[in-house]
Amino acid sequence: MSLKFLIVDDSVTMRRIVVNSLRNVGYTDFVEAVEGKEAIEKLVSDDKINFVITDWNMPGISGLDLVKSLRSNAKFANLPILMVSTRGVKDDIIEALQAKVSNYIVKPFTPHILKEKIEQILATV
Amino acid sequence: MSQPTNMAQLFERLNDLKSVFKYGQKLIPIIQSLLDFMSETVPLLENINSSITESTSKIPKAANQINNVTSATELATTEILDIIDIMLNDIIEIEKQLENICKIKDEKEKIIKQVKQLAKNKKVDKLLADYEQLDDFNNRYTVISELISKIKNNSNNITLSLQVQDITSQQLAAVNHLINSVQERLASLILNLEETSISDIDSNKIMVPKGSHFDPNANYSKSDGRQDMVDSIVNNHKTSQDEIDKLFS
Repeated sequence: MSLKFLIVDDSVTMRRIVVNSLRNVGYTDFVEAVEGKEAIEKLVSDDKINFVITDWNMPGISGLDLVKSLRSNAKFANLPILMVSTRGVKDDIIEALQAKVSNYIVKPFTPHILKEKIEQILATV
Repeated sequence: MSQPTNMAQLFERLNDLKSVFKYGQKLIPIIQSLLDFMSETVPLLENINSSITESTSKIPKAANQINNVTSATELATTEILDIIDIMLNDIIEIEKQLENICKIKDEKEKIIKQVKQLAKNKKVDKLLADYEQLDDFNNRYTVISELISKIKNNSNNITLSLQVQDITSQQLAAVNHLINSVQERLASLILNLEETSISDIDSNKIMVPKGSHFDPNANYSKSDGRQDMVDSIVNNHKTSQDEIDKLFS
């Protein structure tokens, strides 16, 4: 399966790190968005995007709101969404899962963890 | 009959007035000491006020410095990531070159085999055996592959460590938010103490975008424990979700 990732994070550093990590584990196709609104616009305009990696804390539409918004739309109801966040508190993770993220990574992470979670998500799709 | 009553009432009021004067006489020293206390306190309050005003005016500078630190670390991190990108590209190129060398090695082995078959000469066989011993390709390939894997591993560790920039920038954003709140409180305190304009303070107010979000509890920890805890919650949630789904199916 050819994967095209949408990386959503307001931090330029984190977007670069996610891209580097994806390249490191063999993925080459990605686009980036700085926050939720831009992410939705890119998803609507680019049908090839089939995997979203999003941060939680962002200005404007947050990662959690982005997930809720996407899940409320039939087109994106089953889109793989991996949340990568500094939030490591149990209640936050449960909130993210209730919003129907496909999996969750707490920062800092290694490319190995990223690959493992992507594969776990793809195994369930 | 009414006149004596009126007189009695008048005397009664006069007595009341006398009591008030007597009470006033007792009160005057207290009021005096209160005035003395206030005259001593007002300069002190003015001092506090000017001190708060001065501190408040310095807060935006502190907040700007924090923003500068965030920008500088972000720039430095990006530069390091650029170098890692170059390193990774070089590694990919080295791996490609190694693959080519392997292919050439296979071709060379085929040629040597053919030479052996054609020559059928013990001296030639010995020379080719010596040549193969000198070649030592497999050992060198293993060493180079291990070095590549080590460099990749190190670059992964650098990438992991660089995530501290995002985490500290969130912590600094939280500190900035706190500073902003303190500034607002101090500004309102100044307004309460003295009805002076603080327009000069407002003009320097910290630029915190509305709706900006950060995690004040962002924490840099390389421990696997945090991700293990997340995995455990995710798995438990999935199990319970599966059970719910089964009930509906």
